[in-house]
Amino acid sequence: MTDLVLVVEDSDEDIEAIARAIGRSHPDVGLEFLRSGTGVLPRLGDAGRPRPKLVLLDLNMPGEGGLDVIRQVRADAGFDALRLVVFTSSENQAEAEACYAAGADSYIYKPVNFALFQSVLAQTLDYWRSRDVNVTRTVVPPLGDSSAQA
Amino acid sequence: MTEWTAALHRLWRAAVVITSREQLAELVLPPLQQLPGVRAVWGLRHAGPGDTVLAYRWQGLPLVGDRRKLVENLAPATAGPARVIEAGPELREQGVARVVAARFDQPGEAGGTILVALDDSADPEPVAVCLTQVVEVTHEAVRRLSEVRSDQEQQVRDALLAEASLQMDAVLDTEQTMYRVPRMAVPAIAEGCLVYVYEDGKPVLRSAVHVDMRLLGDMLRDPDEVRRMAEPGEHALVLRARGRVIGLLVFLFDRPADRIPPAAFLRDLAARAALAIDNGTLYEQRRQEVTRMQQHLLPTRLPWTEGLELAASYTVGDRELEVGGDFYDAVVRDDGAVAAVIGDVCGRGVDAAALTGMARHTLTALLQEGLSPQRALTRLNARLRLDGSWRFITAAVALLRPDADGYAVEWISAGHPAPVVMRADGTAGRGAGGGVPLGVLDGPQFGSSTLRLGPGDTLVMFTDGLTESRDGDGTMFEQDGLARALDRLRGEPVQALVDGLSSSADAADDIALLALRVRRSGD
Repeated sequence: MTDLVLVVEDSDEDIEAIARAIGRSHPDVGLEFLRSGTGVLPRLGDAGRPRPKLVLLDLNMPGEGGLDVIRQVRADAGFDALRLVVFTSSENQAEAEACYAAGADSYIYKPVNFALFQSVLAQTLDYWRSRDVNVTRTVVPPLGDSSAQA
Repeated sequence: MTEWTAALHRLWRAAVVITSREQLAELVLPPLQQLPGVRAVWGLRHAGPGDTVLAYRWQGLPLVGDRRKLVENLAPATAGPARVIEAGPELREQGVARVVAARFDQPGEAGGTILVALDDSADPEPVAVCLTQVVEVTHEAVRRLSEVRSDQEQQVRDALLAEASLQMDAVLDTEQTMYRVPRMAVPAIAEGCLVYVYEDGKPVLRSAVHVDMRLLGDMLRDPDEVRRMAEPGEHALVLRARGRVIGLLVFLFDRPADRIPPAAFLRDLAARAALAIDNGTLYEQRRQEVTRMQQHLLPTRLPWTEGLELAASYTVGDRELEVGGDFYDAVVRDDGAVAAVIGDVCGRGVDAAALTGMARHTLTALLQEGLSPQRALTRLNARLRLDGSWRFITAAVALLRPDADGYAVEWISAGHPAPVVMRADGTAGRGAGGGVPLGVLDGPQFGSSTLRLGPGDTLVMFTDGLTESRDGDGTMFEQDGLARALDRLRGEPVQALVDGLSSSADAADDIALLALRVRRSGD
C-alpha cells in the first residue's frame, strides 16, 4: 500500500508546486487534493477509501480555515495517528502557537524558491514517515516469487 | 550473449535517468536473475565500511530471516572484482552451490554488494563477467545520484541563505529575526533550531522551532533539557557580532549523517543571523536613547490653569534614529494669560537638539516675563542670526487672555502650520499661518491673527509631521485624513484628542501636538 497525503489547499499555483515537488522527491506517495477545509472530515471518515497518513494544510482558505480543520480532526480520537502539517508563509508566531495548541504536528515554512520548497516538503514527509510505526521498510513478497521491492 | 548485450544497454540508459536509489534494485537485479542457472540475486546496501546493512533487496530466493546473516557473511568486506564463493551447507540445502559476489564503494555514499546465487548447472565465469558489468552500471548510477543530490543540496542551501537574508533584512525587530531564522531552517536543513541569547552570561532561550511541535513542547517543558541543548557542541554555533559573543544558534538533527549540512554552511547562516540580531538590538537601543533624549527636551508637565485644560503628545517618527527638533511648552503669566508655544527646528541630531532646547527656553522665559509674542519671537530670531546658525525654526505662539466666559487668542506665526480650532459643537476649522521662519531674515516677518475660544472650544497646535505625513497611497494627512480624524475624535477628552490625532497619522517624521480646551462651567 502506498502512503497517501491529503493536501488541503485553495491556490492553483501551490497545488501545482506541491504536486511537482512531492512527485519528484517521493514518487511512491499518493496525493489527493481538497480545495477547502469543508471536505476534510467527510473524506477522512469515508471508510470506502484509503485513509491518508498525513494532511498538508493551508491556513488561509475561504470558508473553513486550516485552524478549524485541525480542531475538528483532533476532536475525533479515531484520527489520532493522522499527522497534521500546516504549510504556510506566515511569520506570525501567535498563529504557530494556536496551531500547536489545536493539535497540529508541524508548522512548516512555505518558501518561495522551488528547490527549497521541494526540500522542505521532502524533509517533512521523510520525518513523519520515519516515525510511522506502521511503515515496513522491506516488503516481503510471497515465497518463491520474483519481486522487486520498494 | 546478444540478449545480455541488449539488456546491459537498456540498463545503462535507465541507470542515468533514475532519481532515487530506491529505484535501483528494480533495475539492476532482474537481468542477472535471467541468466541460466541463477537461483537468486541479492543486493545489500552497506552503511559505510563495516558489517551494518541498511537495506536488503532480492530477486528469487527472498532475503529474509536467517538467510540474511548467511548472505551477509558471504559479502566481500572491500570493493573489488567479482569473486566466486563456494556455498556452505545451509545454502546448499536451498539449491545454491556457489555465489558470485562483487562490491562497490562510493565516497560519501552507502556502498553496495550484489550476490548472484547459482545452482550446480551454472558456469560461474560468464556470470562473474555479467555481474562485474552490472556492478559497474550500479556504481555509476550511485555516483551520478550522489552528484545530483549534492547539487540539489547546494541549491537548497543557496536558496535558504538568500531567502533568510531577505527575511532578516525585512525586519529590524530582534524578536522577529530570532523567530525567522529557525523558522526558515526547519526542516530544510535541520529538524530543530533554537536561538539562545546570553543575558548576564547565561544562555536564555529566545526562540525554538521543530518539525515535531509536540516533541519540542515536551523538550521545552524540561528545564534540564533546555540547559543541555545550550551546551557548546558541533551543532551549537556561537552567534558573534563585532567580536562579541551574543548567543548560540543550536541545530537539532534527526536524519542520516550524510544529510547534515556542512559545518561551513551552518557557520555562515549563524554569522548572518548574528549580524541581523545585532543590528536589530542596536536599532532598538538607539531608538530608546532617542526617545529618552527627546523627553528631556520637552516640558515634564504642562501648567494647570483654572480656565483651560491642556494636553500634549510627542511621537517619534518611524524611520528616525536621531533626536528631532519639535518642541512645545506653555506658561501662565502673572496677568492670567496663557502663552502656548510650538516650534520645529529644521533638521535632526545633536545640533538640532541643542537649538531646540535653547529656543523653547528662550521663548517661554521671555513670554513668562510678560513680553509680547512678537517681541519674544524677534529676540529668538536675533539670537539665531547672531549665532550665524544656518538652521531655521518655524514657531508659533498663542497668547490666550481670559475674555468673558472664554478666551481671546492672539496667534503669531513665524512660518508655522496654522492651528485647528475645534468648536464645542464638533465643527472644526483651520486658523491662519503665515510669516517667515526664524533665523532666515534679520527683520523677522510674522503672520498675525486673532481667534475667540468659547466654552468647550479647543485650539490644537501641531508641527508639520502631522499634516505632511502620508498614507500608503502617498496622500498627505492634511488633505482629508485630518478632517476625518477630527470628526472621529469630536467629544473626546482633550488628551484622547491629541493621542488620537497623532496615532491617526502615519508618522514618518516627528509629530508634536499641543491642545488647549476652554473649560465649561462645572468641568
